[in-house]
Amino acid sequence: MARPGNKIIQAKLVLLGDMGTGKTSLVLRFVKGQFFENQEPTIGAAFFTQILSLQEATVKFDIWDTAGQERYHSLAPMYYRGAAAAVVVFDIASKDTFIRAKKWVEELQRQGNSNLVMALVANKSDLEPSREVDTEEGEEFAQENGMFYIETSAKTAENINDLFYEIAQRLAKACPSKPSTMNLNNEVQHRRKLFCCFG
Amino acid sequence: MYGTQSKRDLALEFQSQIPILRPSIHARRANLTVKFQDLYGFTVEGNVDDVNVLNEVREKVRKQGRVWWALEANKGANWYLEPSISEGIALKSSLKFSTLANAITLKRLIRKGIPPLLRPKVWFSLSGAAKKKSTVPESYYNDLSKAVEGKVTPATRQIDHDLPRTFPGHPWLDTPEGHAALRRVLVGYSFRDSDVGYCQGLNYVAALLLLVMKTEEDAFWMLAVLLENVLVNDCYTNNLSGCHVEQRVFKDILVKKCPRIATHLEALDFDVSLVATEWFLCLFSKSLPSETTLRVWDVLFYEGAKVLFHVALAIFKMKEDELLLTHHVGDVINILQKTTHHLFDPDDLLTVAFDKIGSMTTNTISKQRKKQEPAVMAELDQRLRRLNSLKLDDK
Ligand SMILES: Nc1nc2c(ncn2[C@@H]2O[C@H](COP(=O)(O)OP(=O)(O)OP(=O)(O)O)[C@@H](O)[C@H]2O)c(=O)[nH]1
Ligand SMILES: [Mg+2]
Repeated sequence: MARPGNKIIQAKLVLLGDMGTGKTSLVLRFVKGQFFENQEPTIGAAFFTQILSLQEATVKFDIWDTAGQERYHSLAPMYYRGAAAAVVVFDIASKDTFIRAKKWVEELQRQGNSNLVMALVANKSDLEPSREVDTEEGEEFAQENGMFYIETSAKTAENINDLFYEIAQRLAKACPSKPSTMNLNNEVQHRRKLFCCFG
Repeated sequence: MYGTQSKRDLALEFQSQIPILRPSIHARRANLTVKFQDLYGFTVEGNVDDVNVLNEVREKVRKQGRVWWALEANKGANWYLEPSISEGIALKSSLKFSTLANAITLKRLIRKGIPPLLRPKVWFSLSGAAKKKSTVPESYYNDLSKAVEGKVTPATRQIDHDLPRTFPGHPWLDTPEGHAALRRVLVGYSFRDSDVGYCQGLNYVAALLLLVMKTEEDAFWMLAVLLENVLVNDCYTNNLSGCHVEQRVFKDILVKKCPRIATHLEALDFDVSLVATEWFLCLFSKSLPSETTLRVWDVLFYEGAKVLFHVALAIFKMKEDELLLTHHVGDVINILQKTTHHLFDPDDLLTVAFDKIGSMTTNTISKQRKKQEPAVMAELDQRLRRLNSLKLDDK
């Protein structure tokens, strides 16, 4: 996969968001190209890997897809600790899930990694007729919080690859090609190397 | 309403529908992955070896059934249901020799597996569900179901959302009747204990209980005894504090019982809770094949929640050599997932769990829980305060 002379970025990515917003579906679409009308609820979290090759780098994603039910919130730090990228998901057809997404963003901003690449994902864009959250509203919130905003549908596959591509690109940009080995995770206290590059 | 009788017929149908599995010549030659239904109607994907293992397991289940019938013939039907025997292990000192002998026989017998046909009866008595049910009026469950019909709460909304997402594609669970039965059990329970309400994960547990117990009411009581007596408190309530406690205890036990694995995983920065949380909350129902899960539950309902530690440890122990060679978190997870999904022979797992781990008493585990509780509470509290301070900043 990796192109010769190309740097390899190993990046931990975490998905957060209310239950049923489509976190698992987004990942399954990206990793396996699959979609299920009835996707089983995630308990704790599920782990996936996927590799994306860009012009300038090869990004190896370690993906943690977390459980969305409110009470599982107390497990979340275990999954986002040391993450290089976070994807916060809401369902365009549910205002409540957008409110929940905002809370996730606030929490992530407090967890100390200023290099964290964050995406705000408005999923289920195929449900346009029942939309409850306007594009402008989502965009505005994302902009205020230094995230990028994208509307996706795990069902139709719309924008799914673009989402992960954009994240990969931002990670590559944040990870200079020299020096050859670098740990961009500034959470020293965690002595974690979950996001590192080697040339 | 979906009657008791038809459900029983349906379960029998599963069993008769499944002849000895014979993979086609093609499959055998190419060592292809084949799809088939297991004893409880779940679709399983496996290779030819897996199919052979499942056939052997079927034969073992039959033999085990004969052992149970022979004991019934010898000691009288329901010998194991006498309170002095079923509680024998706890009361050892005060018992007659014959009762003690029976209790030891029973423990050994249960670790070897309860035949599927006897499972509803044996579980119901030995878990304490029968006793629990006997303390309330006969009509409790029906009254409860009627009283909550049509009520909408956050819990019922989440339950409705999850019904079609619970073992989708299962030939009975994923039908209107299956959804309705599962709904009544979960909704009924959410009103019985509003602290638990509905916690994701219970959908899988209750669904499997329905398949085994055959009647909705018995499944409900099994769920009640499980949450109220068998498992540690607060596993499923608002911040899953009980589950956090179990995870910490598990980490300590792993360090003691499998120090090499624990050290290696520590070096990889792999927190075992990353995988074990789901095991403990779903009681392995999402990870192990159905008959293997139910064999774990056989012992769980008789010996208590310490069984979960035995089984979780066994999964790591079985793959010790492979795990020690890993360099990456992803490899660890892949090994564990592949192992659990392919544990078609329950004895492979339970032999390690009970013969190779060494004993753990409920007593020592209780002590360890006590030790961990303050740390968990402090951690959850600190987190809550941090989140609240976020809200204050908003203003
Ligand atoms: N129409 C539509 N449905 C979707 C889309 N993505 C997911 N779904 C459906 O929404 C339901 C929930 O999807 P999941 O992927 O399980 O959601 P989740 O966020 O992982 O849920 P939890 O694991 O419970 O937190 C499933 O039944 C999916 O089929 C989408 O883009 N469009
Ligand atoms: Mg999910």
